Amino acid sequence: MTSTAPPRPFVVQSESPALLLDGITKTYRSKAGAVDALRGVTYQFTRGSFTAVMGPSGSGKSTLLQCAAGLDQPTKGMVMLGGVELGGRDEVALTKLRREQMGFVFQAYNLLGSLTVYDNVALPLRLTGRRPRREDVYRVLDQVGLEGKAKRRPAELSGGQQQRVAIARALITGPAVFFADEPTGALDSSTSRQVLTLLRQATDRTGQTVVMVTHDPVAAAFADRVLFLSDGLVAGSLDRGDAARIAAAMSELEG
Amino acid sequence: MFFLSRQTVRRHRSLYAGSFVALAVGVFLLGLAATATAATVAYDGPAAASITVDLPQADPPQQVRVPLSDADVSGLQTVLSLVAVISGFITIFVIASTFAFAVASRRREVGLLRLIGATPRQVRRMVLGEALVVALAAAITGAVLAQLATPLLLAKASYTELAPVKLEPASPWVPLLIAISAGLVVAMLGARSAARRAAKVAPVDALREAELEPTRIGVVRIGFGLLFLAGSIVLLALIRPGTGEAVIPLSMFTPMLLVIALTLLAPLVVPWIGRLWALPLVAWTRVSGRLARSNVVATPRRSASLAAPILAISAIAGSMVLTLSFAADAAAATIRDTLRAPIVVTAPEHGAAVRERILGTTGIAAADGAIPIDLIRTDGDSAEVETAEGIDLAAATRTRALSPISGDLTNLTGKTVAISKELSGFEGYDVGDEITVTYLDRTADRLRVVAILPTAPGVTASMVLPPELARQHAPEATPSQWFILPAQGSDAGALVTALNERLTGTGASAVPAVEWEEAQGEALRQGNRFGLILLLGPAALYSAIAIANTLLMGSLQRRHEFVTSRLLGATPAQIRRMVLWESSLVGAVALSLGTAITVTVGVLIRRAMTDGMSDVPATVPWTVLLGIAGLCLVLAVGAALAPTAFILKRSHPGAAME
Ligand SMILES: Nc1ncnc2c1ncn2[C@@H]1O[C@H](COP(=O)(O)OP(=O)(O)O)[C@@H](O)[C@H]1O
Ligand SMILES: [Mg+2]
Repeated sequence: MTSTAPPRPFVVQSESPALLLDGITKTYRSKAGAVDALRGVTYQFTRGSFTAVMGPSGSGKSTLLQCAAGLDQPTKGMVMLGGVELGGRDEVALTKLRREQMGFVFQAYNLLGSLTVYDNVALPLRLTGRRPRREDVYRVLDQVGLEGKAKRRPAELSGGQQQRVAIARALITGPAVFFADEPTGALDSSTSRQVLTLLRQATDRTGQTVVMVTHDPVAAAFADRVLFLSDGLVAGSLDRGDAARIAAAMSELEG
Repeated sequence: MFFLSRQTVRRHRSLYAGSFVALAVGVFLLGLAATATAATVAYDGPAAASITVDLPQADPPQQVRVPLSDADVSGLQTVLSLVAVISGFITIFVIASTFAFAVASRRREVGLLRLIGATPRQVRRMVLGEALVVALAAAITGAVLAQLATPLLLAKASYTELAPVKLEPASPWVPLLIAISAGLVVAMLGARSAARRAAKVAPVDALREAELEPTRIGVVRIGFGLLFLAGSIVLLALIRPGTGEAVIPLSMFTPMLLVIALTLLAPLVVPWIGRLWALPLVAWTRVSGRLARSNVVATPRRSASLAAPILAISAIAGSMVLTLSFAADAAAATIRDTLRAPIVVTAPEHGAAVRERILGTTGIAAADGAIPIDLIRTDGDSAEVETAEGIDLAAATRTRALSPISGDLTNLTGKTVAISKELSGFEGYDVGDEITVTYLDRTADRLRVVAILPTAPGVTASMVLPPELARQHAPEATPSQWFILPAQGSDAGALVTALNERLTGTGASAVPAVEWEEAQGEALRQGNRFGLILLLGPAALYSAIAIANTLLMGSLQRRHEFVTSRLLGATPAQIRRMVLWESSLVGAVALSLGTAITVTVGVLIRRAMTDGMSDVPATVPWTVLLGIAGLCLVLAVGAALAPTAFILKRSHPGAAME
């Protein structure tokens, strides 16, 4: 993979964290009764860090990610992204924040099937009303290793290639924070590696912050730190662990 | 966003094909109505066949040329405008529901757009842009087809009862432009609510597993539903005795309002009616009926969209068919009650000879042959051709029921007129008022109203003149029908035979009044049938396409669900049965609502029209009504099953894993 000039200057390390969760609780109410998905989570994601969020199924990982990205309102608590509080903002303000500051990669259904790879990647810029520059689009496509695939449609790509298009689309706006929910959940191990390497590069080369939900210890080993969730609470963390240690910590949590 | 709209339309061709077909056909019908109307407007009747009258009270005072009935195209114009109204209504309706459907089945995609930075406004503009792309293509296609079909329609319409002249195509630009713009406006109106709903999709919807729509329906929708319901109740209350002729248009517009109201409220009512109809299904079938019920009940919005076109056409067509049948019943009863003479002679020609021969026949107590006379009635700023008659009171009061509702018929001498209750009600004439008329000999006159008579079309004209006045201004006219009262003690049957013997060679013939009444009723129903085919034909064709369209789209959307059910062990036959019951259930729910509207309107219409009459037969055209219902059901079930069978044949259960 060729490395070209970063899409934006290095984020200046400052005192404020990239993402701050302060006493987040989230209660879903439905006919069947109330579910406490998060029961008071406080955590700081430092700038330029790559954090994996792990935990048993139903422990609140996805809920945490959605609250952190302003996709859902926490029942209580505060979320600050890049020094800006998300609470109490309207849809338009949140949307603008999202398209300038955040990038998203999910397990599947990430792309618009009606658009070519080029148009999918350029879409966030078009949505901001900017005219995408060809060289910018081709540069991020190069960066994720999709040279020459610009004219294809998603249906003509493999799952791993589709995920890389999604990462290119997240890269193009140069977001401060990447949110990824099980980005490798539907991929085999070698394509998983490629996708995770790209996320790793986002922190290493351009100082972006990555928050990734995963249940796979091998994927989590790409992170600087693993945050364990259990039953809506932070159950611990592990720095610079390898897959074996992470797996052991997980089974301890589940057991 | 327009760039995105164009791309998505191309991608979701099958979703938008439905909207495209619906709108193209709608614009085609509107365009055809518009070009044909242009042809009638451009038609310039021979100057000799029209009369120019002054309208001094008009603002500004003016002269108008009134075409005489021989070369009149206004009948066709009326029919065309009604066709345009009905087609336009059904088009708005169908477009709104197909767009809503197209958006509802793309929740996840819209959520993804929101996630990567599209504002609600951008999403709304994208959906409107998609509508515009589809609408432009569809409207132009429809207009081109209309232009191609215009000469055919005009050839068919020329020399008919509605337009007894030769019609030539006029310049198509203005009418087609109107049809295209109408189509675009309709599409944008229909797309608006869909766009608004798309803008409400939250970014998290891109991440949620289920692609289900929320089942709650908006307060705004309920509010509008109740508003339309209130409006239709007001109209229903107007369908009462004394409203007169206006009940016929009311019977057309009230069902339209009710259809809108019930469609808006449908997500609330569909589950209840669905459960009711599902009772026998659940009892008879093992699993497919249960599944069908939960699919219909659990997604009320989707079921409501599927039911909408069936509801619309069944209610509108049912109400019109029933109304016209009841109107014919009432008219036949009026003829029966008004005509006292037991014998009727119809005399198409040789009037003078007929008169002598009838009067020369023995055994006649009274022979009532009215002199028909056309005249132009001017009133303020309008001029209307009326068929009046000059009657011999001595005979006519014995052969027909002519007791005035107000005024006195003995005053019918000199420059006077007796008018029907209907004309009096319509124009506000009262006894003592003067009516300005112009005869076909171009002399103008002012006639004083001396009496108001019961309305009895077919027996007594809406304007009755003294015979001298009629003869003076229509010296050539001879009676076209005679009402004959036999002398005391003479046998009506023998008199008919005697009359027919004497009338041989004149073209006239005598029949017992009962037979004549039957023939009149039959002619009326025949005319109604023709009108119904003209009015409802296009709408029915359109609805058929719409019903097939929505259900086809509905089934095509469910590929994943069908394949997953196969994986879970459902046999293709079980899935087909489920779809069969489901579409029947949707059809039954829609037809129940349609029937409720039809019955309500029918009962009120009948009460209004038979007021003050007794023994009016009620002819319910069961074959036509059941035929409409049956066709709707067959179309719905067929359109749901065909794609299901196709999907099941083309995919194996493993496809669910993809
Ligand atoms: N939209 C929702 N409505 C109701 N309950 C929900 C919703 N989303 C998640 N939950 C519940 O909240 C809890 C946490 O869910 P989630 O964050 O998805 O967990 P994870 O991603 O760790 O598996 C679970 O018990 C789940 O059932
Ligand atoms: Mg999850």
